[in-house]
Amino acid sequence: MTVKHHRLRRAALALPLGIALLAAGCGRSAGPASAGGTAAGNVSPTAGLVLTTPAGTKQVPSVTWAVYRDVETLDPMSAFDYPENTAISLMCESLLLQAPDGALRPGLATVANPSPTQMVFTLKPGVTFWNGQPVTPADVVYSLDRQMNPANGGFYGQVFSDVRSIQATGTSQVTITLTKPDYWLEGELASMPGIILSKSYTQQQGKNYGTPAGGIMCTGPYELKSFAAGAGVTAVVNPHYWNTAVKPLVQQIVIKGVPDITSFTSGMLTGAIQGSYFFGASTLDQLEHSSAVHVYQGPGQSTDALVVSAASGPLANVKVRQALSLALNRQGIISSVYKGAALMPRWLANPGTFGYGTSVFNAAYDRSPVMSQNLAQAKKLVQQAGVAGQTITLGTSSQLSSISAETGAYQAAAQAIGLKVALKSVSADNYINFFESAQARKGIDGFITVNYGDYADPAALLSTIVMPGASQNYDNYNNPQITALLEQARGTAGADARAALVAKAEQLAAQQLPWIPDAQPTNVLFLSSNLTGAVASFSYMFAPWADQLGGKS
Amino acid sequence: MRWRFLLRRLAMLAGTLLVASFVIFGSLYVAPGSPLAALSGGRALPPGSLHVLELRYHLNAPFLAQYWYWLDGALHGNLGISITLRENVSTLIASRVWTTAGLVLYASVIIALIGIGLGIVSGLRPGKVDTSSLVATALTAAVPSFVAAIVLILLFAVRLRWFPALGNGSGLLSDVQHLTLPAIALALSSLAIVARVTRTAIREEADREHVQTAVSRGIPARQLVRRHILRNAAIPITTITGITVASLIAVAAVVETAFSLNGLGSYLVQAAQTKDLAVVQGISLVLVTAFVVVNLVVDVLYALLDPRVAAGVRAR
Repeated sequence: MTVKHHRLRRAALALPLGIALLAAGCGRSAGPASAGGTAAGNVSPTAGLVLTTPAGTKQVPSVTWAVYRDVETLDPMSAFDYPENTAISLMCESLLLQAPDGALRPGLATVANPSPTQMVFTLKPGVTFWNGQPVTPADVVYSLDRQMNPANGGFYGQVFSDVRSIQATGTSQVTITLTKPDYWLEGELASMPGIILSKSYTQQQGKNYGTPAGGIMCTGPYELKSFAAGAGVTAVVNPHYWNTAVKPLVQQIVIKGVPDITSFTSGMLTGAIQGSYFFGASTLDQLEHSSAVHVYQGPGQSTDALVVSAASGPLANVKVRQALSLALNRQGIISSVYKGAALMPRWLANPGTFGYGTSVFNAAYDRSPVMSQNLAQAKKLVQQAGVAGQTITLGTSSQLSSISAETGAYQAAAQAIGLKVALKSVSADNYINFFESAQARKGIDGFITVNYGDYADPAALLSTIVMPGASQNYDNYNNPQITALLEQARGTAGADARAALVAKAEQLAAQQLPWIPDAQPTNVLFLSSNLTGAVASFSYMFAPWADQLGGKS
Repeated sequence: MRWRFLLRRLAMLAGTLLVASFVIFGSLYVAPGSPLAALSGGRALPPGSLHVLELRYHLNAPFLAQYWYWLDGALHGNLGISITLRENVSTLIASRVWTTAGLVLYASVIIALIGIGLGIVSGLRPGKVDTSSLVATALTAAVPSFVAAIVLILLFAVRLRWFPALGNGSGLLSDVQHLTLPAIALALSSLAIVARVTRTAIREEADREHVQTAVSRGIPARQLVRRHILRNAAIPITTITGITVASLIAVAAVVETAFSLNGLGSYLVQAAQTKDLAVVQGISLVLVTAFVVVNLVVDVLYALLDPRVAAGVRAR
């Protein structure tokens, strides 16, 4: 029923393939990860991470921003990965807005719920597109319909599964009528599915919308100057920005694909690249030590986990999953793969996703144990399960260094508790097939992923994993208790009450381990040391991140 | 005679392109994975959306029909549309071809000037010069271009800041500046090979009887080198230089990726990964054409260098 869309982690595929000679660092583990399991009391699980960097004060003519590959489209309907999201969230705005701490705020519109099945959006006065035309309810209805209609081949159609109708109900009002209460839709409308496009411009461009040939028409503080295949996306300040409180300092931002970790690193060191949210940079410690670069860590929203795809065999047994989880050396993964830029997990959710009901989430999270290594306990569980000597098969790719490193950690863990491991290695390009095709998963008990939801809510990712029929529920996992909690949360209006339900579901999932979390990556922001003001949290993926970016005085 | 030679080569080019396009199309078709993965971003799309995408890109048509769609378009000057960028392949190629052309040309000039120059000098001057050139070329020949790229970036971009570390330039001077390190990285190992072959060819010619005779007749050294040694050594030197330059076209992909240049090679790799068939086809054909043209130029050069060689007949 609740088939939520999912997000395959091409991010995992993006991890450095090149020979990282530059990375020959000392392997120092930096950052908050070293905190381990000591946190007690009311310390926020993301303490020590920064949401934003101090606002810039000086004008800057141009900044080059690196993404791991070139931007392929600027159409929010087909945006799912770091490069596209980085470019679109810079220039386009959604109905609601995800603040750097993950909280939902009014965006182009405010929202009210006259009844649990009605969402009424009122456009803010004076909201205009780059070309000066006002944003009308017709634009909103068109933009949402376009996302919802399967004939357009968009990625987010299923987000609207509970929507009965979307109608203009006033000169600045749009009403969404639902078939049943759905408080997850608000989060989606603060993300790619909620981006508002100009109806006339989009219709005029047709299939070309969002391509280098067609361009885009949005409302944000930066407007598209050029989108040339290969040369990257160039955005310049929108002089007619409707929100006069925002005055961008950087006149031009060029978003450029830099697939190679060595060129990214040397680019940052020489100033050819001035900023990036590069994920999983293996040269993190080298850049941290450079005086030319400032590295910030903000709350992340992605989870690094082992996908359990086995419907039978040892991993289908919860005791074996628990044993494997207890035997896993997560600190090793955090220091070798993430160079310290990740937290030890307690739940499947990254604590950076606590965008609402934060104190409820924090308290529940604090009560949950850190998933640290305990070999003795793990061996006991394997004995109880009676599976010693049995084999599990893991999918991996020796071309993806981080994936193979983590698979190696699982191999070590399994062997330490008396399980055998068979590896099935595929090429980097074909790793995606484990997510795509049941045939590729045949005989595979698990594989590594880095996965995130569309907005700051632990349920955004969990629901894709555990709900019956959900898009990432590869092993037909079904725990009626977790399903019921999530269903109930989806229809619960109060933020704290909803958070309490989701927290319970997460606590159950942390015991039942539908997937086994490995690490909770923080969001790493690289900035030239003469720049400041970019958003440091993962919400850059969904909301403007350069409004305060500028030079230091 | 010359015209028939050219026509024959053009016909060969057309045949090569046709066969190459079929082989490339076929191998990409057989390779695992589907462009749908790139199109859907790996998200589980409802069957309706998938069907729309399949129809739009003829993904369900049988192999030969798909190939025919492409060939028919190509014959009409339409190389198709990139699946990931939704733009004409010819536009995409045009925006990148000059980067690769500039890079290969720059590297070729380096190879021709330094490689051949070094070979001549060490061929004619046995002793210290020769030994040190031998050691140097042995070293550089062993360095693959991606390692050279990293070392060059580290040294000349990060430490000394003489050259930019990555990206394309804007304007001629800046282009040259941006392409210098990549061109050196690309040229380095081939340069060593050319230098060594040149050296051997020069040695061989210098030891031959007619040269010895010329020496005994007291012909001045300059004339001796130019007319009796170089002229005869030119054919093997041209051959090795031609082969090396043609191979640069393929190796350029590695260097382009290392320096984040918007060239055809790095784009070809990227397109092959996302199974963007039309782009892979388009770029491959450009590369095959370039390869054939370079070889043609070499053949014509043979005829110019050695009147005994008729155009179209390989020398020695």
